[in-house]
Amino acid sequence: MTQQILFFVLHGSLIIHLGLIVVCVWRVWRGENVIDRIIGADLVSTLILAVLVLVALIWLNPTYIDVALGLAGLSFVGTIALTKYIADQQLF
Amino acid sequence: MNLVLELFAIAVVIIGTAFSVIGVLGFMRLPDVYTRLHATGKVSIFGVVLLLLATVALTPLGFAKGLVLIVLLVLGGPATSHALGSAAHRLGIPLRQALRDDLQALESSDHPEPQRVG
Amino acid sequence: MVMAFLRTFVVLFGVYLAITGNLEPANLILGLIVAAIITVLVPPRSRAGSLSRLPGALWGLIRYLVILAVDIITNGINVARIVLDPALPIRPGIIAIPSGCHNEVATALSAHAISVTPGELVMGIDEQFTLYVHCLDVTHAAEYSAQAQAMRRELLSKILY
Repeated sequence: MTQQILFFVLHGSLIIHLGLIVVCVWRVWRGENVIDRIIGADLVSTLILAVLVLVALIWLNPTYIDVALGLAGLSFVGTIALTKYIADQQLF
Repeated sequence: MNLVLELFAIAVVIIGTAFSVIGVLGFMRLPDVYTRLHATGKVSIFGVVLLLLATVALTPLGFAKGLVLIVLLVLGGPATSHALGSAAHRLGIPLRQALRDDLQALESSDHPEPQRVG
Repeated sequence: MVMAFLRTFVVLFGVYLAITGNLEPANLILGLIVAAIITVLVPPRSRAGSLSRLPGALWGLIRYLVILAVDIITNGINVARIVLDPALPIRPGIIAIPSGCHNEVATALSAHAISVTPGELVMGIDEQFTLYVHCLDVTHAAEYSAQAQAMRRELLSKILY
């Protein structure tokens, strides 16, 4: 019984997160300034992280959490490098 | 024991999804860049961390990896938010509906540019 | 000196074991070697404390984490209520909070603790270690955050002995 409820909850959550990604991509396309678009891109990568965690939960496969670890580190470094470039007009 | 873990996972996934929806809703509704940062920080602090707690409860092998990812998110999220916020303030993006701005007085006075690392 | 090296070594070894996730003897030995090499290559900058104050520091760390978790949850529910309200009752603004500690690590950790709670965000730090905090609700934060910072400073001075 709880297995089936868990199945429905996880798949519903997956669909909701995919819808949120579409909304955020629309926001990146129609942003009002540069920082707003970067915030949107960072939010998209966070939501992809959530989707990876949900896929790991649905298939009970811990390999996807490794992928999520790599994505978390790369999106952190990427967002900070992009922000520093925009604020200073140079990276180093 | 298994039943308790599954009920915990169901509750945590529902609460995490609700916080993600609230975060993206705040990202759409709030008026300027600085207030939007509060809403988007909530997606990574609440949404993903709660989903990872469900993973820690359900998958036996992903236990420690989930904890490492939680620590990484909690340490890295505020750094990203601070970088975006201070870059926006440096570029001169205005605050809307702001009651007070103490940082503006510091930057417009005769203080030299503070030494920054990096 | 040994204490500072040991702290880095234990943290690195724990993270290695957590990421690889198996406890075979070969993997344990490899983890020990990797953690030892990184510990030697990256010398610790902080001064080492005495071993006798370690229990007090651990108890302070546990209290700090519990207070931080309670703060995050209550502030998160507050921000969710603000976002879901149709009238959007925000009073944003930037206020200056003197951090009170003359230590860079303690200032950075209190800036992290302020930024990680939803609704407050550190925008800059000046030479006198004053934190400039952007808040969603300035009138609430102006009276609340000074005493929270005082308690945080006391706990941090106990942790970073």
